[in-house]
Amino acid sequence: MSLFKRYILPRIIQWIVVIFVGTTVVFLVPRLSPMDPVQTTLSSMSSLGMANPEAIRQMEEVLMDLYGLRGTLLQQYLRFWSYLLKGDLGPSLVMFPAPVISVIGTAMPWTIGLMLVSTILAWLLGIALGTLTGYFADKTWAKILDAVIMCIYPIPNYIMALMLLFLFAYTFPLFPFSGAAGIGIKPGFNRVFIGSVLKHGFLPALSMILITTGWRFISQRALVTNVIGSDHVQYAELAALPRRKIMLNYVFRDTLLPQTTDLALSLGSIFGGALITEFVFSYPGLGQILYTAILQGDFNVIVGVSIFSIVGIATAALLIDLLYPLLDPRVRYH
Amino acid sequence: MKAKSAFLQIVFLVAIMTFMALPALAQLPPEIPREDTLIVDQIFRYSTPDNYNIWTTAGTEATRHAFGWDTLWYIDQQTGEWINAVAAERPIYNEDFTEMTVKMRDGLYWSDGVELTSEDLVTTINILKANPGMRWSSELALYVEDVTAVDDYTVKFTLTRPNPRFHYYFTVRWNGVYVMPAHIWKDVENPLEYTFNPPVSLGAYVLRETDPAGYWEIWELREDWERTTTGVIAGKPGPKYILTIFHGPNEKKVMAMSNHELDILMDLDYEAFQALINRNRRARSWYKDFPWAWTDEADTRVFAINQEKFPLNLKDVRWALALALDIVEIQTEYVGGVTRVTPIPQPASVFHMEHYHKQYVPWLKELKLDLGSGEFFVPFDETIPFKIADWAREQGYDIPEDEEAIINMFGVGWWKHAPDVATKLLEINGFTRDSSGNWLLPDGTPWKISIIAAPDEADAYRLAMGAMDQWEDFGIAVEIETLERNPFYTREHMGDYDISSTWGMAGGGNANFVRDKWPFMHNFHTQFYAPIGQASLQNHMRIRSEKLDEIIDKLSNLPPEHPDVPALEEEFFKHWVENMFGIHTVSFKKFITFDETYWTNFPASENPHAQPNYWFMGGKFMYPYLEKSGR
Repeated sequence: MSLFKRYILPRIIQWIVVIFVGTTVVFLVPRLSPMDPVQTTLSSMSSLGMANPEAIRQMEEVLMDLYGLRGTLLQQYLRFWSYLLKGDLGPSLVMFPAPVISVIGTAMPWTIGLMLVSTILAWLLGIALGTLTGYFADKTWAKILDAVIMCIYPIPNYIMALMLLFLFAYTFPLFPFSGAAGIGIKPGFNRVFIGSVLKHGFLPALSMILITTGWRFISQRALVTNVIGSDHVQYAELAALPRRKIMLNYVFRDTLLPQTTDLALSLGSIFGGALITEFVFSYPGLGQILYTAILQGDFNVIVGVSIFSIVGIATAALLIDLLYPLLDPRVRYH
Repeated sequence: MKAKSAFLQIVFLVAIMTFMALPALAQLPPEIPREDTLIVDQIFRYSTPDNYNIWTTAGTEATRHAFGWDTLWYIDQQTGEWINAVAAERPIYNEDFTEMTVKMRDGLYWSDGVELTSEDLVTTINILKANPGMRWSSELALYVEDVTAVDDYTVKFTLTRPNPRFHYYFTVRWNGVYVMPAHIWKDVENPLEYTFNPPVSLGAYVLRETDPAGYWEIWELREDWERTTTGVIAGKPGPKYILTIFHGPNEKKVMAMSNHELDILMDLDYEAFQALINRNRRARSWYKDFPWAWTDEADTRVFAINQEKFPLNLKDVRWALALALDIVEIQTEYVGGVTRVTPIPQPASVFHMEHYHKQYVPWLKELKLDLGSGEFFVPFDETIPFKIADWAREQGYDIPEDEEAIINMFGVGWWKHAPDVATKLLEINGFTRDSSGNWLLPDGTPWKISIIAAPDEADAYRLAMGAMDQWEDFGIAVEIETLERNPFYTREHMGDYDISSTWGMAGGGNANFVRDKWPFMHNFHTQFYAPIGQASLQNHMRIRSEKLDEIIDKLSNLPPEHPDVPALEEEFFKHWVENMFGIHTVSFKKFITFDETYWTNFPASENPHAQPNYWFMGGKFMYPYLEKSGR
């Protein structure tokens, strides 16, 4: 049997099934919850003065049509797929008639920029520090580093973000409080705009890096501690190979496979946004959009953002599955 | 090796210094001077910032509608004053209220230099009527048979049915039918999808710049501001620039205002407000000292009771719940003592205190509850405000000795804390206690109550906590169901609750409720009743009362100024209170806070020149009176 049929095809089928099931679940969950976008809109309108019951009934009918909520759940579901397969996620219900795709499109670059950078930096930092402290565990500096990171790691995201703001935006006003770029700065590939984006993104990225580095650090240190005890590392040490070479070529390389998997899945999940960080720093990412959509019962936006997240994670898992045989001969063998 | 290390260090330092020197820290663009700019707390992030079609739900209206939009009339929420804006005078109705004529001001101009005329108003109505889904579309379609321009400044509405309150749609509390520029809109093919960007302004400001991410906007004073309604009415320009900015959580607003990067904000929780005034000596709210907060927003906090749920459908049970509450403890320990108590379903604002609460004290004092066997109980306690004042003095606050001043500060009174009477009321209805003192229903099963509450509405949630604590002390098993707004509203509308710690019971967004209680009262007409499981937007408490229907029907046919209206209103409130349909507790309060570092003459208790809730459309009348501090 060819490699394609034996290994690649089942994984592609699995990828399709995961996306299909995930999308179906995110379609159903909000509709089965006690949220009702029509009632929410009517509630907002009536609280602002709409009074006549006849007018309210008429508006309810109109909104049911406009929001595409007519028909049974099955009819809505089939309609949803017929649009989705054409790349149409429908209109936002709360921001009607703004298309969901454009709502997501506005936030996506900021989320990708912030989370890609912070995820990769946190991964690199966590791996490097975890490897060093795991391999040189008996050194004083390693113990101090370990203690510091273990202190930072449990701090909740919200508190970490506020602490950074308090320190670097309020007490020492070096960075701005809010936003993704300076007020009045026109977007473009120029020094002022890029500098402003970097400066606005610095604290949000730092807060995420500080927290997520802790997790990487712990996992990498544990992996290194395991690998140090393995036969080939013991043998290398008995053979008096330089410690730096042992650390990089024998210990570090052995830990890379699980960490690469973790990195890929983390990168796949960036499409869900970073709600708390975005909220505290008023950063215009997908997390904020998803949060608002959940609060307001905007089914289409909830489904839209979730689909990106599902596809992101499923695709990352698929790529890892496909790359594993290249990285690890044991997988190829099995 | 050392040289390489030193080089890297220098490169690193230069990079850091360059980074720090970038102009991102400056909140305002260099061409906009801080001293000319009022920085306003934008109450939320605009989801579709480039959509200025606020005639649909896609376009955000909050905060920005005070700058660029206008309508016919306003009622100032602070003073109750009627303000003719785009209209030159009050509406003129024919005898049977089937026609309304509007005389418009002349000399008002759109920001693109075109004069506002009756054609603009006529076009607005026709577009809204013809496009279902737009704000006001269904109601205008329902009521307006025809709208015509009599001349350049006169519009005549012909109504499909008599309606003495038709002008309410054009009278602002939160908003009113915004007038469209006909020269822009008449050629728009699909008004529902049109974004009206850039907006042509009828207000004193014109949009200068907006954040594509929706976190801020800059509005600039029009050069011809004198040709707008605020220019005509106030005769003053206001700040040259207004920056609205959304900072997110309260902690950030406190930091921003402490650093003088925010001039006015909408609200804070009590603790955040205290932190702010401790850090910024120029920051303050409505009152300079205790109780600080603005308590005149026209709304109340209420424990709404679902009349369809046993045993809450029993009047005695509802009264027992009210008498089991200790309002002094709730108002002080849970809300900080900073607002007024209200025994009637109306806010205890300055305006309402004079026209309603104080007027009703005589019959509140005479009200008696029948405890059976010829025993009666007087539930009203007019000493409540003085008890709150005593608490405040114990906290070290400076409280006047004058009785009237204390009543003005804390309200006219509330219901006695009388658990013994509450016990009697339950017992005469067959309730008993178990060996632990917990209440059992007449059928012997434990009595359990669920309160739904949305935690983002901080006071409503805190009040729910207070009620839970006190009712549990009284022997009722109570749980709070914490819900986000959307499921909270849905549960309310569907009647899926026992008690809701809620608000919005003072008459919705309609401006005229300050002088006419019909917008509040008509919500409780049986025509809005729906059984549990079916939505009822207005009457979610599911009240069915022939007496209330009778009063509402009479009021519906009378114009607001009719001399019979006050007596009917009083009758309504008496019937409400006697039946304790809902337990109203305290008035809305907001810590609208301003920093007087750059701007002064904000509306405040000693200078209430306009309503301070700037995010409402009527907030526009505050801006012209602000003065530069010169700092």
